[in-house]
Amino acid sequence: MAIFDTDGSIDSALLATIGTAVPRKEDARLLTGRGEFTDDFAAADQLHASFVRSPYPHAVIRNIATEAALAMPGVVAVFTGADCRRDGVGAVPHNPVPSTRADLKLTASDGGPIFEGPQVPLPEDKVRHVGEAVAMVVAESLTQAVDAAEAVDVDFEPLAAVTESTEAAKPAAPVVWEEVADNVCCDTTFGDVAATDAAFARAAHVFAMEFHVSRVAGTPLEPRAALAEYDRETGRYTLYAGSNGAVRHKQQIAAALRIDPEALRIICRDVGGNFGTKNRVYIEFPLVLWAARRLGRPVKYRATRSESFLSDVQGRDLVTRVEIALAEDGRFLAYRADNISNVGARVISLSPLGKGIGLVTGSYAFEAATARARAAFTNTVPTQAYRSSGRPEVIHALERLIDTAAHELGLDPIELRRRNLIPAAAMPCENPLGLTYDSGEYEANMDKALELADWAGFPQRREEASGRGRRRGIGFANYVESSIGAPGERVTLRILAGGTVEAVAGTQPTGQGQETTFAQVVADLLGIHPESVNVILSDTDIVRRGGGSHSGRSMRHAGTAFCLAADELIERGRRIAAVVLDTDADRVGFASGCFEHEGDSIDWFELAGRAAQVALPDELEHGLYVARDNEMHTPVFPNGCAVCEVEVDPETGFTKICRYVAVDDVGRVINPQIVDGQTHGSITQGVGQALWERCVVDPDSGQPLTGSLMDYPIPRADELPTFITAVNEVLSPTNPLGVKSAGEGPTTPALAVVVNAIVNALRDLGVDDIQIPATPYRVWRAIQDAAAAEERSR
Amino acid sequence: MATITLTVDGSEHTIDADAAMPLLYALRDDLGLNNPRFGCGLAQCGACTVLIDGQPIRSCVTPVGAAQGAITTLQGLATDGEPHPVQQAFIDEQAAFCGYCINGWILYAVELLERNDNPSDAELRQAFAGLKCRCGAHSAILRAVKRAAGDIRSRRA
Repeated sequence: MAIFDTDGSIDSALLATIGTAVPRKEDARLLTGRGEFTDDFAAADQLHASFVRSPYPHAVIRNIATEAALAMPGVVAVFTGADCRRDGVGAVPHNPVPSTRADLKLTASDGGPIFEGPQVPLPEDKVRHVGEAVAMVVAESLTQAVDAAEAVDVDFEPLAAVTESTEAAKPAAPVVWEEVADNVCCDTTFGDVAATDAAFARAAHVFAMEFHVSRVAGTPLEPRAALAEYDRETGRYTLYAGSNGAVRHKQQIAAALRIDPEALRIICRDVGGNFGTKNRVYIEFPLVLWAARRLGRPVKYRATRSESFLSDVQGRDLVTRVEIALAEDGRFLAYRADNISNVGARVISLSPLGKGIGLVTGSYAFEAATARARAAFTNTVPTQAYRSSGRPEVIHALERLIDTAAHELGLDPIELRRRNLIPAAAMPCENPLGLTYDSGEYEANMDKALELADWAGFPQRREEASGRGRRRGIGFANYVESSIGAPGERVTLRILAGGTVEAVAGTQPTGQGQETTFAQVVADLLGIHPESVNVILSDTDIVRRGGGSHSGRSMRHAGTAFCLAADELIERGRRIAAVVLDTDADRVGFASGCFEHEGDSIDWFELAGRAAQVALPDELEHGLYVARDNEMHTPVFPNGCAVCEVEVDPETGFTKICRYVAVDDVGRVINPQIVDGQTHGSITQGVGQALWERCVVDPDSGQPLTGSLMDYPIPRADELPTFITAVNEVLSPTNPLGVKSAGEGPTTPALAVVVNAIVNALRDLGVDDIQIPATPYRVWRAIQDAAAAEERSR
Repeated sequence: MATITLTVDGSEHTIDADAAMPLLYALRDDLGLNNPRFGCGLAQCGACTVLIDGQPIRSCVTPVGAAQGAITTLQGLATDGEPHPVQQAFIDEQAAFCGYCINGWILYAVELLERNDNPSDAELRQAFAGLKCRCGAHSAILRAVKRAAGDIRSRRA
């Protein structure tokens, strides 16, 4: 039996555990206190590192006096940028510009390469954001290191700072990097400008809105941590550190240390959340490795929570101005977006800007569109992908603008959307920015969500709430998002005679249950039970290649590579079985996990055992083992929609979410319970940004004001309803499993749908828009402002 | 420095420590018990939770010198290798995603179900209002605690 059907998709007869809620292999470990997170690793004679961080958003470093710190008890060393330079420790190569074939090509304004602002581990000349490290103290104990860090005397000369992208892009703004005098390091326009202008010129209606999709903190509950060891005998470094994939970290850290990547081993077991925050290499990683070599002892580091708020990369922070042109009958003609991303003090990643810019037209058919993508340096911590990188920002703008257009035109917002959706029959469909959506049934998603939400029954619920003094509102938002990610992945499969299959992949779960879902896939492909599959991830001495987990790529890339590897392994098994059974390979059959020949039947594990006892020909000498590399550039487009119903207390501005429905097309569902969990988490983070979360930086002083979980409110159990979720499983034709992606999609419409619901609740009071997060104060303020405007107009 | 005796998961341990040091560091660094975790160090998240005489406390802000009583960690909940009913319910409902914060949720649930083995939705949400989970596992956790409550009730019946 072949694994693949003639169209290249997996033979559906193989599906045994795929699509079922197999219990998570991770859970027995995690729930009985046996997880292994980075901070759990310790070395007997380890030292502890603490970092001296800038209190200024922008300052010249005149001098760093380390003598007092060095004299303190337990202090072993204090390192500065000058020490790094003398030892050749250089900048971390972040490779921030998305560069697969499917990514839109971002450039500087002259069309040339983007100046990134190099990230040397410890700067010698200047600091560019509060929290930027300028020195590393290493001591016998953590408290000694922390105390001594306070004794390092840094002479800073403060400079004028700028923290908002729109301010940074203005003439005469403080300059973050002299190399980019206007702070705008990226400025690229996509789409057909002439066709868009023409469509706007003949439009019956044009509407415009502007949004600041605020800056958020990923806030994984496990702070960044590292344990570095150096072995003088072998010259090898070992780093225990959580991330989204150790392979890229190995390459980039080795580059910063100017060492052979093979001299560095990275081990990453359990990771306590990521959401994009741990994707990129942090300077602490090369620094503790370097210190471990210099000092001849292991060095440990773990960020405090306030350090996390100051120095973890953050998410979103996009200002977007959008315009929509409609025909008389409400048909969408054209769309314009002008987006400016606040990349912070240096370019760590342009993923949010780049991913968003290709999706500004969302789920709808437009004749033409243009999108201008700019990125500006500011004196803030850099931004990076945060759950559903770049997509919630542009979908927020689009879906808010559609609601406004519907209101202004007196049209039903659902009907206006329905009229303009890309029909299922048009798939695959190229959007005006050049991305080709692979598949999807957008209208079916809508219908399902409207039914689950009892949209039709809303007026009655509104009236009932009104009797209690509450304003009830309902909102809707569609979304389409893109899953692209690093194109290369490698997996290996090895059958062990003891009854185990070792499956290695280069991804890194941080709560997504890949040990379980990968085991399901491998088990079904090989005709065995998932319990027999041992999934191995992220020890770079075992995992040689792999793109990590980001951009919804893990199951799509690893799953595809597992399909190809399993196909090869079965063929190999047939040939080995032929040797064992003394026959020809083409006379050996394979079905349900067993190789068969004239009544003899051998399963994988028996075959592995018997193969070890016979002389195999050279080409089969590795036995039942396959390593398979695969490169896949074709993106997929998860999609869906959400309905949100809120009640607002007009006296206090407090908003309660009463009902939330999500319908998501994630492609093939491997484990429905895991997908449901990912959906809940994904919605929660979107709702958090819509209602509460914002990294506040004081614009005058440049000081971050959200420095703890008291100031930065991540959603709590008592604030959330139980979400109603459903999947509309439309298999992607781009990969054998038909996978799209789960886990990022439901974040995407969450910002818009919550605000659409709040504005719907308050429209009668004259409220047209509320910027996120729609905190009780902002909602109350909007009500008061609308009332004052009403008063003035009388 | 003081000599301090701690009873953790049924075993006694004596350590030399500053009595003001947070219990979390004693458990992690002196006793090598990794499952109470550092999340914030300010009692704002709950990842460091342990039970003292059945009451959940935040070990990151509890001085080790004040940690008198029987301390139970997540690992110590299991008896003879069998997960506690709350742990088993969390496994059955896939209520942990990354698993980092889970000490707090399970140990607060254990204490709640001791007092009230049939909590309402509102009581559950209130009981967990002081805990943080960034993965957004809240719904699965509430489901798991209800399941555990049912299991505990049926054992008692």
